[in-house]
Amino acid sequence: MKIRQYGIGLVLPLVLTCLAIITSACEQGPKTPQTEAAFMLPKAAAIADFTLSHLDRGTYDQEDARGNWSLLFFGYTHCPDVCPTELFMLAEMMRAIEQDPGAVSQTPQVVFVSVDPDRDSLQHLQQYAGFYHPSFLGVTSEQPTIDRLCKSLGVFYERVYYRDGKALELDPAATVPAGLEDSYLINHSASIFLVNPAGKLHAIFTAPHDPNTMIRDLAVIQASWRS
Amino acid sequence: MKSENLAALSIVLLLSCTSSAIAGELKVIDPWIRSAPPNAPALGAFMTLENHATTDQSVVAARTALAVDRVELHRTIMVGEVMKMVPQESIPVASRSATVLKPGSWHVMLIGPEKVPTMGDKVQLTLVLGDGTEQTFEAVVRHGKMNMEGHSHEMQTE
Repeated sequence: MKIRQYGIGLVLPLVLTCLAIITSACEQGPKTPQTEAAFMLPKAAAIADFTLSHLDRGTYDQEDARGNWSLLFFGYTHCPDVCPTELFMLAEMMRAIEQDPGAVSQTPQVVFVSVDPDRDSLQHLQQYAGFYHPSFLGVTSEQPTIDRLCKSLGVFYERVYYRDGKALELDPAATVPAGLEDSYLINHSASIFLVNPAGKLHAIFTAPHDPNTMIRDLAVIQASWRS
Repeated sequence: MKSENLAALSIVLLLSCTSSAIAGELKVIDPWIRSAPPNAPALGAFMTLENHATTDQSVVAARTALAVDRVELHRTIMVGEVMKMVPQESIPVASRSATVLKPGSWHVMLIGPEKVPTMGDKVQLTLVLGDGTEQTFEAVVRHGKMNMEGHSHEMQTE
């Protein structure tokens, strides 16, 4: 056996190291929340500084996110399917929390970030987001700011143009063909990003989403945050 | 996956039992339009299409009595964690099969509504089929719940 070749002097420290790792893992056990759907980051990640705009608040930035648990979802109001589905799901989650406020230790702030500032004015955006739930914030910014935030969180989005039902291959730098300026669709991430009260990315809920699972995961995550 | 196969099998059995009575018919079941903000630039219409005929069928176009810029056939496709919205030339409904139009999948898009209908409103829709026939019906406006529960007879054509 190979292990004999190394002798006890080498094996014992190895065994002790393994034991130490197992023991420390057990110690961390209660702190690592067992979530059903949320993907927990091993360590909450800092987010690039951002300042977004909101109709009534003026701005929505990192400081606004601090102190709250925030659920960030990225999309656009021209979205045919995914955004209405997700915003309705999040509204159902909010209504369930309102029915049973003890289900979570802190009600999360839902923030709908538009990746389409060209078409989503602040007023249009807030009216849209607020329709689903009055507490929802609809925010956006200049495209480079949005891009920086998306990159920081790992959010993907891309504009796609169609003519007569066929996707057009467009160089990103190319000018948009006349008549199609307003008709593009946007492929985008369907994940929901949980930002903790320290303003750091804490967990990611990948699609599909279920309101009750979201609530149970939030409760577990929040409880582990306090301990 | 197993339950989906079971569901698929159950609809095939169901269809084979009933097809003689309504052969050749494309049945539109439970059509609905997702309630949307008053300023929504697009509305989604959903339904289950059952093809009781022995030949394949397809929806090649759609119209509505609602004042809109245009109506398109769409499909949402999940690629990794990204949702892609892809316009479609047609929505297939294979023979003795059903295609479910639902959030996150096939749907009819009503783009640029002049006035967004509210909960409970009924909107007239017309589907133009591949064989040139048309089906006109009313879709009710309701909340956009993912209609996963209560629709076990779901079978998607790919």
